[in-house]
Amino acid sequence: MDLIIKTITRVMFPFIILFGAYTALHGHLTPGGGFPAGATIATAFVLLLLTFRESEVEGRFPEIKLIDIKSIASLALLAIILFEFALRDKLIQYQIPMTVWSGGDTLPANIFGSIIVATGIIIIIYSLIKEEWKK
Amino acid sequence: MKLVPVFGLIIFTALMLYAVSDLPITHNPDVKQYYLQNALEKTGSANAVNAIVWDFRAYDTLGEETVLFAAVIAVFLIVHKKSEFKLKTLKKQIPKTKQN
Repeated sequence: MDLIIKTITRVMFPFIILFGAYTALHGHLTPGGGFPAGATIATAFVLLLLTFRESEVEGRFPEIKLIDIKSIASLALLAIILFEFALRDKLIQYQIPMTVWSGGDTLPANIFGSIIVATGIIIIIYSLIKEEWKK
Repeated sequence: MKLVPVFGLIIFTALMLYAVSDLPITHNPDVKQYYLQNALEKTGSANAVNAIVWDFRAYDTLGEETVLFAAVIAVFLIVHKKSEFKLKTLKKQIPKTKQN
C-alpha cells in the first residue's frame, strides 16, 4: 500500500485500541459493551493486515496463541456467568454506584467478552487473508 | 453418503418447527417494566441494555459466545490444511528420535 496509508495506520492504531478499551471498560455506564468493543479492537488489527505486506506482518499473529487467549477468556466468562448470582450481590456491596468501579459482574463480563470477540474476528480474517496471500 | 446430513437437517428442522409452534405467543409488558426499573438497583449497571445482555439474560449471551467460538474453530480448521500441522509436528519429533 501507499506510504500515506501506512503512516496513517501507524498513527491511528493505538487510538482505535484505546477507543475499544474505553468502550469495554465504560460499557456499563454509556452505550457500548463487550461485543462493540471487541469489534472495534479487531478493526485495528484488520487495518494492519490490509495495509502491510505479508513479509512485514508474518509471525506477528500467532494463531495458536490467539486461540489459547480466546479459550481462557471463554472459561473466565463461563465462570462469571455460572456464579453470577453469588458474585453479583457481594460485588455490588463494595462498589460505588455510577462510577467506573460499579456494575457488579457486568464489568468483568464486558472485559472478557470483548477479548473473546476481538480474538475471534482476528483469527477468522487472518486465516482468510493468509489463504489470499498464498495465491 | 451425502443423504445422511440432508435427512438429519430435515428431521432437525421439523422438530424445531414443531417445538416452536407450541410456544405461547404472549406479550408480557411486566418483564420490560421490571428490567427497566430494577436494572440499576439489582446489577449496579447504569446502562440498561448492558444489564440485560450480561446479567438478566446472561445465559443467552453465553450461548452466543459459544456459537462464535464454534464458528472460529470451524474456520480455523477448514482453512489450515492437515498437512501443515503434520509437517510441523514431524519436524519437532525428528531431532528427539535421533538423540535417542
